[in-house]
Amino acid sequence: MYTLDEVIKNKISGLCYGNRILLPFKAQLLKVIVESDIITDFSRSSKGIQLVEHEEFLDLYFLEYKGLSDSLSKYEAIKMVLVEEGKNIFDWNNHRKIALYLTEKHKVTIEETGADILFIE
Amino acid sequence: MAKKFFIVLLFFVSKNIFASETKPLADSLATNAGHVSQMPHPSMVLPFIVLLLLIATGPIFYKHFWERNYHKISILLGLVTVSYYLAFLNDFKSVEHSITEYISFIALLTSLFIASGSILIKVNFKAAPISNVLFLLFGAVISNLIGTTGASMLLIRPFIKMNRERMEPYLIIFFIFIISNIGGALTPIGDPPLFLGFLRGVPFFWVIENVFPIWMIGILISLLVFFLFDISNKKTADTVTEKGKYLVELKGSKNLIYFLIIIIAVFIDPKVISWIPSLSPLPFGIREIIMFSVAVASFKTADLEILKANEFDFEPIKEVAYLFVGIFLTMIPALQLIAYESRVYSHYLTQATFYWSTGALSSVLDNAPTYLNFLSAAMGKFGLDINLASDVKHFVTVDEVYLRAISVGAVFFGAMTYIGNGPNFMVKSISERAGIEMPSFFTYIVKYSLPILLPIFAIIWFLFFRG
Repeated sequence: MYTLDEVIKNKISGLCYGNRILLPFKAQLLKVIVESDIITDFSRSSKGIQLVEHEEFLDLYFLEYKGLSDSLSKYEAIKMVLVEEGKNIFDWNNHRKIALYLTEKHKVTIEETGADILFIE
Repeated sequence: MAKKFFIVLLFFVSKNIFASETKPLADSLATNAGHVSQMPHPSMVLPFIVLLLLIATGPIFYKHFWERNYHKISILLGLVTVSYYLAFLNDFKSVEHSITEYISFIALLTSLFIASGSILIKVNFKAAPISNVLFLLFGAVISNLIGTTGASMLLIRPFIKMNRERMEPYLIIFFIFIISNIGGALTPIGDPPLFLGFLRGVPFFWVIENVFPIWMIGILISLLVFFLFDISNKKTADTVTEKGKYLVELKGSKNLIYFLIIIIAVFIDPKVISWIPSLSPLPFGIREIIMFSVAVASFKTADLEILKANEFDFEPIKEVAYLFVGIFLTMIPALQLIAYESRVYSHYLTQATFYWSTGALSSVLDNAPTYLNFLSAAMGKFGLDINLASDVKHFVTVDEVYLRAISVGAVFFGAMTYIGNGPNFMVKSISERAGIEMPSFFTYIVKYSLPILLPIFAIIWFLFFRG
């Protein structure tokens, strides 16, 4: 399993198939923004995102979307606030902001959001 | 007052107040460069009403269905009207006129949208009540040069960024009030209704000459109320500034040249400059060719990093293009019927009626067609036809107060709801994409526009349109 730092440093991509995103690390999600939907409810009863945790990766199903690549332009990102597995979720310094860009061949580029990307936690 | 307002509202909803179906052929309407068209049946206003109701309710109550089908619905309803005009009235001219106007309208919006999406403004100064007030005032002025759409797209990101440490929804709401709406009341570039008026024959500088004092009062009161809100925001903004760095940085500045070209192109119209050649019978002119070319050039030469930072997406302008093709086509019968009926009911229509009625409908419907409908009604009082540029030019000389009331009502009241003006939804969408929880459709009205805007608009009515 990769750490988030390894993923960003080594530019390891995630995957996207339809409304499913696979992230090559494990984390607790706090906030996800896709288009203008702000999702903070990750409980099983939520209609926003269904989370499935695997040993080596994290599976996200965006239930309101048929195909994410149809909804997002190549300049648009899915943005997330998350805390890596094993780190203290209550320590603000552990809250990481990342942006996911869907590229060709089902690849998902994972970047830490820079100063230019607007993202308020 | 209430009675007059009710009567004007009936123009939109009642069959009885419109021309009766047994209307003799003599009840025809001179339209479009002198051709005479037969009056449409009152029921043909229905596609227009249905479309506007769907636009108002779709994004809120059945969002995903609406997102998948709005373009089909808009085109289908437009085609209902077109079929009626071609098959039953043999009136091609009215349809052609509307299509020509639509192309001009969408050319301006598209070029402003793309040019602004290719510019990134980065700010590095401390957000505070005074700097926010100055920022909003700057935005209000700028929106007259690059449109409320362009100004909103360009300025919302830096505004969010400078306030990121003290973000509250009221900041975005006042941005919508001042930059996305009220600010753009001074020029035809400012807001789509005024541009439609310009296309119909209202002189370019008529607006600034006649609306400036009202604009100034509206902006000053709005800024004062904003200031009172903002000084009670105790969150600190200290972490925003980075010492030794730029105060304001503009990336993609070459697009300012594109903006300049768009502004100059607005005047390139045979009706404005006589030596400009007309491309008739084509439904567009040199102006539209220039604007679309600027849009393409701006996008093709845009910096990838800027597009990414702006999270550029064609969807907002695509949505406007699809919805407005339906609006422009379905509103043809409404415009013609209102022009006719206003002659009959002209004694009920006062400046106050025009101000409140245009405003009320601009709040919940799109303000561009509302402006045209009431301009048509006001001109009908004088026996003039909105479809004749010479009549519009004459109208401005015989009466200024009605047009002033309609212009202010259409632009200012567009801020009352998210759906009142195109940029409102864009700003909401950008803010939500930045992670800001925006108030719902009804919370926006109950918590912000009714208690804040309505009293401001009542003051403006009292000062300028009481008669």
